[in-house]
Amino acid sequence: MDFGFSEIQHDLRGLARRILDDGVSASTLAAYDEFAAPRFDRALWQTLLDSGLSGIAVAEEHGGMGLGFMELGLFIEELGRSIAPVPVLAHCVAGMLPLQQFASAELQSRVLPAAARGDILLTGAFWSGSATPELRAQNTPEGLLLTGHCRAVPFVQQADWLLVPVQVAAGVAVALVPTGAVGVRSNALQMTHFEPHADVEFNNVLVPEADIVLASGGETLVAWTRERCTAAVCAQQLGAADCALRMAAGYTSERKQFGVPVATFQAVGHRMADCYIDVECLRLCTWQALSLLSEQRAATTEVQIAKIWAGDVGHRVSYACQHVHGGTGIDRDYPLWRYCLWLRFNEMTLGSSAAQGAALGQRLARGEGLFD
Amino acid sequence: MKIQFTEAQVALRDELRAYFGELMTPALQAECERDMGEGGGPLWREALARMGRDGWIGLGWPEEYGGRNLSPMEQFIFVEEVMRAGYPFPFLTTESVGPTLAEHGNAWMREEIVPKILRGELLVSIGYSEPDAGTDLAAVRTSAVREGDDWIINGQKMWTSLAHFCDYTWLAARTDPDAAKKHKGISMFLVPNSDPGWSCTPVHTLGGVRTNATFYDNIRVSDAHRVGELHGGWKLITSQLNRERLSLINFGPISELFNQVVHWARAEPGETGGTIAEQPWVQANLARSRALIECMKLIVYKQSWAMTEGTLAMADASAAKVFGSEGFIEVYRLLGEIVAERGLLRSRSPGAAEQAARIERLYRTASIITFGGGANEIQRDIISAAGLWMPRASR
Repeated sequence: MDFGFSEIQHDLRGLARRILDDGVSASTLAAYDEFAAPRFDRALWQTLLDSGLSGIAVAEEHGGMGLGFMELGLFIEELGRSIAPVPVLAHCVAGMLPLQQFASAELQSRVLPAAARGDILLTGAFWSGSATPELRAQNTPEGLLLTGHCRAVPFVQQADWLLVPVQVAAGVAVALVPTGAVGVRSNALQMTHFEPHADVEFNNVLVPEADIVLASGGETLVAWTRERCTAAVCAQQLGAADCALRMAAGYTSERKQFGVPVATFQAVGHRMADCYIDVECLRLCTWQALSLLSEQRAATTEVQIAKIWAGDVGHRVSYACQHVHGGTGIDRDYPLWRYCLWLRFNEMTLGSSAAQGAALGQRLARGEGLFD
Repeated sequence: MKIQFTEAQVALRDELRAYFGELMTPALQAECERDMGEGGGPLWREALARMGRDGWIGLGWPEEYGGRNLSPMEQFIFVEEVMRAGYPFPFLTTESVGPTLAEHGNAWMREEIVPKILRGELLVSIGYSEPDAGTDLAAVRTSAVREGDDWIINGQKMWTSLAHFCDYTWLAARTDPDAAKKHKGISMFLVPNSDPGWSCTPVHTLGGVRTNATFYDNIRVSDAHRVGELHGGWKLITSQLNRERLSLINFGPISELFNQVVHWARAEPGETGGTIAEQPWVQANLARSRALIECMKLIVYKQSWAMTEGTLAMADASAAKVFGSEGFIEVYRLLGEIVAERGLLRSRSPGAAEQAARIERLYRTASIITFGGGANEIQRDIISAAGLWMPRASR
């Protein structure tokens, strides 16, 4: 039982924080407000690729650092802290990780080094509320023929390749599809937090055999990837919630009313103390999930619990921090408001607290997930 | 970062679980039930001495005190398992007063008292609160007056739990009535409860648990009974309370209760067909409880780790205390809703079911630690000041 950072983890956090402190500010983020431009800072993305952070969990043979999901999660926590406009969850978690775990050696060596360098951008369709794909495919002599749609895929309009689960007669298959393939069309959505997401339509899109990651048995890949995506969202939420909390603690320590800092009112201090406890709970549940997943251990219960906390904590911290700031908290000239949008996105994506709770409750009722 | 037990820790937990499975005989369980989960009976004493002889109580202690030199994490695993087994373990003596005595006590305390504690032969009650000194603990009026080489102690303490079967009281007394700041005039003493000037009367509480008012009438003790520096008691009190706050939040019993309620709900027919566990609202309550207890577990594990590393932060000890104490109440309510009206029957009632009756009692006892061990309002003040660097709240 070790809650401390290894030297490498400590250094990676420091590196991520330095790059993100330099590269993200209220003024750089303002460029994407209200969809003025797709929320993707390509210069920052290149810096992160060059630093090696984007390839933390990619094997060294493919040009990555060869570290684990724990380290990737700690990097994502820092992204959450800075709400950086980069496609790390899409590319690194929903794209590279499942390919590295499940794709053939040929496909891996064709895609992963290019992805780790950033020559190509990946995304994956693993973010919808249901694990069962809406997209369907037929087996033909030329390969899989895809028809249907998948919803709210992050960065799909910026990405080169889309990793997508499809329903086939035998169950679930997983294919890697060029976003520019004939028959693929995407419709941009306007998400609450300005991140570029789009629905994707597939009209008789042919996937040649070489680009089929799994012809059957893709349920395992989907479950494996969704757990990692969920834990990554929790890590992102942790960083965002911690940052919002520190902002509110700092503001109330400076802001004076009745001649004293508002932080000295016990009601204010106690609300912040409750947020501190909330964020600590989210931190510990998230780190536990990352730690177990990093070692490829069963973590379904721990991921569900982390996401329940990510939802509850995000909601409570967002409103408490807005409240103790007074009008400043919602003023767009002050940085908190963008955090509130991300806290909401992270709360709701991949299952709200209620939905995750229902899933956990069903498992408990089957006798799964009890204490050791 | 590796938030999992080592193989050795898993093996230790399994060994302890087997050990307590054997130690908790039906006769001992019945005695503990009779004593309202407080202990103090002859079989309870015998079992404690056996744990001491078998080297469990001092698992995480240095060998010089008779310990086994393992870390606070192993010590915590032991306490978790002994509590999970349903044994009312005197953790305030072993986990909070004991370590404070080892750190600040004189040779007699380190060589006689502490080893006896680790052998399960000596128990200490805590004498802080008074009728007019609760949350404002520095207002204590119990006095210790120097007379030659001795001290004469007079006063009254409240909520001196377990004192009726303890050997000593860890007592906060005013030694400097003129101190400019009231918390700078307090010293700590180890007072023998066997002294003719010592007496106690029971105070019965909502949960059925007995506590005590204790009286100190011209008790004469030598200066060897004073702990730490003269007028320096406040530091010892806060150090002891920090340890107490951690040991109050033990997730062993509540995780065991949770598992048992799940097993029960999976077997028990519901009113509308199927089992109780099949009802969506029951599943929602189970999930909420499960998520809450998981955090209790992680918070205390992190603190045990921090104690091993020597990095325990005051804000985190307070956060554990607030979250744990309020979490217990929430979980008892959520699980109580699942057992429904059965949770209104006391354990000796006709028709009482074991788990439901436990919830009936636990729900009545759960408020104790939201104010005991330092009121949660004060803990929240500590969190915002020490954890978030906010200026201190005015009182």
